[in-house]
Amino acid sequence: MEVIMVDREKCTQCHTCALWCGIEIGSVAKELNQAIHEEPEPVPRVHMEGNNFPLHCRHCEVAPCIDACPNGSMHRDPKTGLVYVNEPTCIACWMCVMVCPFGIIAPSSSQHLAIKCDRCRNMEYPICVEVCPTKALRLQETRKGLSQEDSHYVQYSKGLEDF
Amino acid sequence: MDFVQKKTADSAVEPFLPKAAEKGVSLVWDRYEGSLPQCGFCETGLNCRDCLQGPCISHPFREVNKVGVCGKDKDILGVHSFLRLVIHGTLAYLDQLTDFAEGVKSGQTSPKNKGQADKLIKDIQALLANGGAGVLQELPKPLIDGWKAKGVCPEGVARDLFKVSQKLDGGISSVEDTLLCAFKGALSGCVAQVLQGRLKASVFGDTSPTDVGVNLGVLQQDIPIILLYGHFSPLLKQKIAEAAKGKKMGIMGVCTDPLIPPYSFAPVTNYGSQEIPLMTGAVDLIVAGDQCVNPSLAALAKEWNVEVVRTEVLDGGRDLGGLARKIVEEAEKAFSARRKIAKEIPGIRESARMGFSPKDLDVKKIAEAMKGDKIQGLAILAGCNNVKFTQDHEIVSLAHELLKKDVFCVSEGCASIGLAKYGLLNPRNRESGCGKGVSSLLSSLGKDLPPVIDLGSCENGGVTEFLLAMGKSPKDLPLVACFPEANRTKAVTRAAWTVAIGIPTYFWPYLPVTGSPKTMEALGEFCEKTFGAKLNMVTEKMEPAEKADLLMRDF
Repeated sequence: MEVIMVDREKCTQCHTCALWCGIEIGSVAKELNQAIHEEPEPVPRVHMEGNNFPLHCRHCEVAPCIDACPNGSMHRDPKTGLVYVNEPTCIACWMCVMVCPFGIIAPSSSQHLAIKCDRCRNMEYPICVEVCPTKALRLQETRKGLSQEDSHYVQYSKGLEDF
Repeated sequence: MDFVQKKTADSAVEPFLPKAAEKGVSLVWDRYEGSLPQCGFCETGLNCRDCLQGPCISHPFREVNKVGVCGKDKDILGVHSFLRLVIHGTLAYLDQLTDFAEGVKSGQTSPKNKGQADKLIKDIQALLANGGAGVLQELPKPLIDGWKAKGVCPEGVARDLFKVSQKLDGGISSVEDTLLCAFKGALSGCVAQVLQGRLKASVFGDTSPTDVGVNLGVLQQDIPIILLYGHFSPLLKQKIAEAAKGKKMGIMGVCTDPLIPPYSFAPVTNYGSQEIPLMTGAVDLIVAGDQCVNPSLAALAKEWNVEVVRTEVLDGGRDLGGLARKIVEEAEKAFSARRKIAKEIPGIRESARMGFSPKDLDVKKIAEAMKGDKIQGLAILAGCNNVKFTQDHEIVSLAHELLKKDVFCVSEGCASIGLAKYGLLNPRNRESGCGKGVSSLLSSLGKDLPPVIDLGSCENGGVTEFLLAMGKSPKDLPLVACFPEANRTKAVTRAAWTVAIGIPTYFWPYLPVTGSPKTMEALGEFCEKTFGAKLNMVTEKMEPAEKADLLMRDF
C-alpha cells in the first residue's frame, strides 16, 4: 500500500497541508474564501503538533481503531489497504479516538462522527502531498519494503515516541 | 490558487512564451505557476510578521491557534493586512513626489512657470510638515468637512503616516478605527499624487493630448533603443530626451509616464509583459527605477546582453544632465556592440491618443450628461496587470462591455496602456466600440476623442483633477471606479482614497482581508456610512458582462 512519508528536515510547519485538507476534504464549499467562514468549522484530517511533523493516519497494518469499533464502521479497503470510517453507520462512541496511538482521530460532536484521514482515497492524489510547498510530504509504496534512501523517514516514524 | 490557462490576450506577447520555454527562460507566468498553491493564510490576511515572536497565523479550522502570539485575532490581522498595503502604497507616491521636488528645488531644470513651481515646492514641504493644505482647499467643502469630522483629513506625513503605521505595532484599536487610519494614510497619497501632477505641469508645461505608438511594434531594428522602466524622476527622463536630441535614437517606456512635454516615450508594453521587450533583442540599454520594475529584469538583461542603469541609488545630489549624457553614450556603444544579436520585433502596434487633462475636455458637459439620461454614468478604470488573470483580458473586455452599455470611461496609468494596445485609445475606433449615448457625447466634446479618455500617468493626479473640475460632489454623480487587474500596493492606496472621496470602488483580485468578516463588513457597510461608498471585492469568478452589470448597479 501507499503511505504518506514526512521529511522532517523539509517541513517548515507552515500549516498549508492542514489548511488545504480543511478546504478540500473538510469543508462543504471546497473553496478557500467560503471554507474559512463555514460553521461548523471544517476539520482538517492532518494535524500539526509543533514538532515539524504533520501527523496523518498511518493506516496501521494492525489497526487498533478497527478492532475497537463496535459496529464495523471503521474498516479497511481491501484493495488499497486504507483505513476509513463508514460515515452513515458511525455512532460517535469515540472508541477509535481512545485507542489510536497517534491521537489522529478527531471526535466531532457537531457532526456525530469520528473524523480521520482516509488519505484522500477518492481522489487521485492526497491534497496535503499536492500542496506541500517544500515537498516534505511524499507518497510512498510500502508493499515492497522501504529502500535505503527512505531510512530517515523510517527513523522518524519509529521515533514518534519522542512526541 | 487558480491556474490560468491563457496567459495573455496580447498577440504581440504570446509568440514569445513558447520561445522562452524553449530557451529555458522563466517568465512571470512560470514563476506564478511555480508558486502555486500560494499560502492560504497570506491570501486571506490571516497571518502576521510584524514582530519577531511570529510569524503568526489565525487558524481557521482549529480550536487552538486562533490568535497571534500578541493577541491579534483574525479581524485585527485582516485590517492590519489592509493598512500595511495602504501605507506601502502611500510611501510610493511620496517617494516619487519628493524625488521630483528635490530635483526641481536643486535647480537642475528651469521650470516653464517658475512662480508656480516655487509655490508648489512650498506646498510639498507643507505636505511633509502639515498636510499640503493648498490642495485640500480646492476640494469640495462638504467632503473636507466630512473627513475632518472622521479625523481622516490629511495633516502631514508625521501624523498621517508615522502615527498610522504604528497601529501595526500594537495597541487596542478597533477594526473601524484602524480602517480610518488606513484611509487617512491613503488620502495623504492622494494629495501627493495631485501635487506631483501640478509640479509636472509647472515644470514642463501643460500636457496636451498626444498621439503615441503602443505595443512591441514600436521598437526599431536600426537605431539604438533606450527603455525607461518604472518610476523615477521625470527630470532624468527630460535630460535623457534632451541628450538624445538630434541623434537617431529611440527612447521608449515601460510602466512609466509616457508624456513629459515636449517629449513622449512610446509605451512598449505594460506591466504583465514587461520582460518581453528584452526578448526581442532590440533593446540596447535599460534605465530602471524601483517602483513597478520586476527584479527578474536583471537576469533577463544579462541573458540578452543588455546593460541596466539603476536610477534609485544612494547619492541624492547627482548631476542628472551628466548621467543622462552618459546613458545616451552607453546606448550608442551598446547598439554597435550588439549589432550581431538577432532582433525579432513583432509587427503589432496601435496608435493611442493619451494625456487628456480637464482643460482639454468640457468636464461640466460630461457632468451634465451624467445628470440626464444621455449616458448611464462614468467609470474610472485603473490598475495594471496581475498574473492571476489573463493579461489585459479583464480590463479590455470590461471596458468594451461598459462602452456598449453607454458608460463613459476614463482611465489612468498602466490601465490606459492596456486599453491602448487594443485600440480603445484610438479615435478611429470610437464609432464601432461605443453605445449611442457615449458616442454622441464624445463627438460633442471634440473632434478626435478616443472611446476611452486617458487622464495621464499614475504618477499624476489626472483623475482627481478631473473630479475637481466637475465642481460637484462625486457622491451626487453616477460614478464608479474599477481595478480589474490590480497588483501594486499603490493601487490599494488609490482605491482607498477613491472610496474616501465617495466613489464606489471595485477591486480585483480580492485583497488579503477576506479572512476577517469584520474588515470585510467595515470596507462595505462602515465605509458606506462614513464616506458614502464601499470598497467592493468579489471572491467568485465573474464574466466581463456580469462585472459591468455589477458596476452599473452603483449608478
